[in-house]
Amino acid sequence: MLELIRPGIKIDFVGKRNVLMGISLFAVIATFVLLFTKGLNYGIDFTGGAEVQVRVPTSWDIGRIREELNQGGIHGLKVQQIGIPSASQFLIKEQGDEKSLNLVSKHVSDILGKSLKPSEFEIQRVDVVGPAAGSSLRTSGFMSMFFALVCILLYVWLRFDSRFAPGAVLALFHDTVLTLGVLILTQKQFDLQILAALLALIGYSNNDTIIVYDRVRETIHQHPELPMEQAVNRAINETLGRTILTSLCTFITVAALWLFGGKVIEDFAFTLMVGIVVGTYSSIFIASSFVIIMSQYLDHKEKRSKTHGSAKRRRVVMIRPEPKAN
Amino acid sequence: MSRSWWGRFCLLLFFVVLSVVYVYPTIANLDLEKTKFPFKQKINLGLDLQGGLYLVLGVDFNKVYHDVAERQSNHLLERLKEKGYSATNSKIQTEGLPADDPLILFDFDPSKREDLYQLLKKEFINLRLAGEHAGHFELGLSHDFRTEVRERTVNQSIEVIRNRIDEFGVSEPSISSQGTDRIVVELPGVGEIDRAKSLIGQTAKLEFKIVDDKSTATLKLANLISDIEKKNNLTYKDGQKFSEYVRKLNELAKGQIPAGDEIAFERNKVAGTETELGRVPFLLFSKAEITGEDLQDAMVQFDQENHRPTVGFSLSPRGALAFERVTSEHIGHRLAIVLDNIVHSAPVIQSKIGGGKGVISLGRGDADAMMKEAKDLAIVLRAGALPAQLDFLEQRVVGPSLGQDSIHKGALASLIGSIVVFIFVAIYYQVSGLIAVFSLVLNVLFVLACLVGLEATLTLPGIAGIALTVGIAVDSNVVIYERIREELRHGKRPGVAVDAGFQKAFRTILDANVTNAMAAFVLLTFGTGPIKGFAVTLMIGIVTTLLTAVFVCRLVFDLYLNYLDNRNAKTISI
Repeated sequence: MLELIRPGIKIDFVGKRNVLMGISLFAVIATFVLLFTKGLNYGIDFTGGAEVQVRVPTSWDIGRIREELNQGGIHGLKVQQIGIPSASQFLIKEQGDEKSLNLVSKHVSDILGKSLKPSEFEIQRVDVVGPAAGSSLRTSGFMSMFFALVCILLYVWLRFDSRFAPGAVLALFHDTVLTLGVLILTQKQFDLQILAALLALIGYSNNDTIIVYDRVRETIHQHPELPMEQAVNRAINETLGRTILTSLCTFITVAALWLFGGKVIEDFAFTLMVGIVVGTYSSIFIASSFVIIMSQYLDHKEKRSKTHGSAKRRRVVMIRPEPKAN
Repeated sequence: MSRSWWGRFCLLLFFVVLSVVYVYPTIANLDLEKTKFPFKQKINLGLDLQGGLYLVLGVDFNKVYHDVAERQSNHLLERLKEKGYSATNSKIQTEGLPADDPLILFDFDPSKREDLYQLLKKEFINLRLAGEHAGHFELGLSHDFRTEVRERTVNQSIEVIRNRIDEFGVSEPSISSQGTDRIVVELPGVGEIDRAKSLIGQTAKLEFKIVDDKSTATLKLANLISDIEKKNNLTYKDGQKFSEYVRKLNELAKGQIPAGDEIAFERNKVAGTETELGRVPFLLFSKAEITGEDLQDAMVQFDQENHRPTVGFSLSPRGALAFERVTSEHIGHRLAIVLDNIVHSAPVIQSKIGGGKGVISLGRGDADAMMKEAKDLAIVLRAGALPAQLDFLEQRVVGPSLGQDSIHKGALASLIGSIVVFIFVAIYYQVSGLIAVFSLVLNVLFVLACLVGLEATLTLPGIAGIALTVGIAVDSNVVIYERIREELRHGKRPGVAVDAGFQKAFRTILDANVTNAMAAFVLLTFGTGPIKGFAVTLMIGIVTTLLTAVFVCRLVFDLYLNYLDNRNAKTISI
């Protein structure tokens, strides 16, 4: 039997929770600071604008394209080379009002058509998004992210109880924010595809958390005498092999997409890769630690209401049996 | 093996064979027209993979609502005048109001307001009273009417676009409405964005032309056309430019048809699609008697006698005069209604029609068919009368070479990723790992088959979705296997451990996939184009993963356990 993680392993994850949660908290705050200072590098899907991807003869460099475009009478376009140099593919970008956007592709093909034969160049891709459409896409995009988060929150809340749900939701929030943070740091273009990747991550990164949670519950059932910290730590250790294995497999497939999938899908795969790593970290360290915090808080509250002699006990949906007198 | 096992095996075998049949034409890249393979359907490739044009058009309602309000207002003032009342200072207010809710303002003697209300109630149910003070009246369009205007404007714009799609020679275009005010046009294989835009952006051209019935009969038009076609080897196939065909045909027919005549066609299409059922040739006088500019409005009405649907239309004063002249000269002849050079209907002129209002009654047929025909004709007429302005909100073109490149790279990357995962799983779990690989391969097969079966569209993110499905599906196998290993560590026999493993893991697997499905669902409702393709494969992948992990994997495990039992083996390779 090949084992990545030995069965009897006992790593003290829970003991380090304060340090790690501190780090995560710092990272989340840093992301928000970055979001408002550096900001996301929005692509034309969200800002409006035009992008024209062209292939020209290999003898042309970026300067030549700029020169041709300038001579052709269109100025102020951003030109950038994409892919490997020998492919001689360039991206021509324009931000402007609706009218000028509408004409970009025609201008570019007219200008290139003057100096080149039709077989020598190719308009490979054109994307034009009007400013109004851009802002409505942005609104609906973020709304759908919010909506997905709420749906999953509701589900987790129904499925688990108030000890577990906040941790899962926080972990999800943490994963989304940190992935955004990496996107800001790397200044990857934030477009519809990236948003789709984030949405998929919102669904996926909960997988690990749920599996750890399931185990925590089971451990509590089987060993009611264990203190919460130990039960959680045990559950994490027992599922560690599985958590790492599955994340690794998903990571492999996404990494293959990143490496071999081509330019169009590179950033999409990159976002998924970052999200998988962050998601695995958070389900081991963040989500479970929060279970301990929540149950300590709830136990404390319960005890207090008992000593105050209130007849009405708060209804806390309990999976865990009453703690034995200690 | 037990009988239940054989039952399950046959079920699986059935689905596998079915899936292979579904997927084979795509994988083997069969030429669907020539192949003898019984199943003729391939995976739909998204525009980002096969190359093509994707446009999102916004319908500009501002002018449409203004015109509609103006027309209602003119009609109302006319009726008031006929009844001997006078309304003054009338105007349409749009400033500072929502685009779809302009107001009709006028001054009217307040002591006669009851009469006005009566008239509104009886004849102008599309108007509502929005306000009144000191003889100053404000009328708005009723809510239902505004919705109706919005719907029919979008429909007529779609109709106009559909009419022009032939220009691109696209075999499978798709034109659909999105939300209440957007139209999405997808043209696979079209790269000429600027030509597409100029054609779609043009306003519709509606003409009324007299049918040259006499020459049609003497010429035997249908025979003439097939002769010309044969002689000059001219045919029209789906996917070609229809206007080009008609132009050539007319050129070749010159001399054989009377000067000043032209051939035009009515095209019968399967409702809502571009598939042509057949076409009817017409010989028309080239001169347009009346154009869309002279037409004011058109709507479905009901005949008072037999309650059949008819199409009523009204003309501008100038159009009314022309129409009166034409109808008096051509009684008994047919008047072809031609939108963008395609004949849509050719009713017979029954009598001279004056006053600028006409009614087109339809042929026989059942009520539903007639209603549909009336609606379609009204749309065609209005498309010429009230062309809505279309704005280009999004335009995306992917060239065919980039699309091909994406398919190759996407498929290659997914294959590499999957194979690495397969090898890893096989080494890690040995025989059980091979079982997992088997179920993963079937999983991918099922996903592809579902894509074909549901006629879903595969996009580049969709390919990524399939790769991701493999990654996520392994998760289910790992959950089950780690469980089984644990049970084995507790000293259970292989059979018992496998049972317990599958049982305990199921709930966990289900849970983990529910959240995935939720996110995929949100993606599905939010996304368009490539993103939607991603959501669809994720969704399908989740379902097939659940099935293969629980059903397929279990089936093969039972076989494996049986084998172990026969050998009295005490261990299991996992």
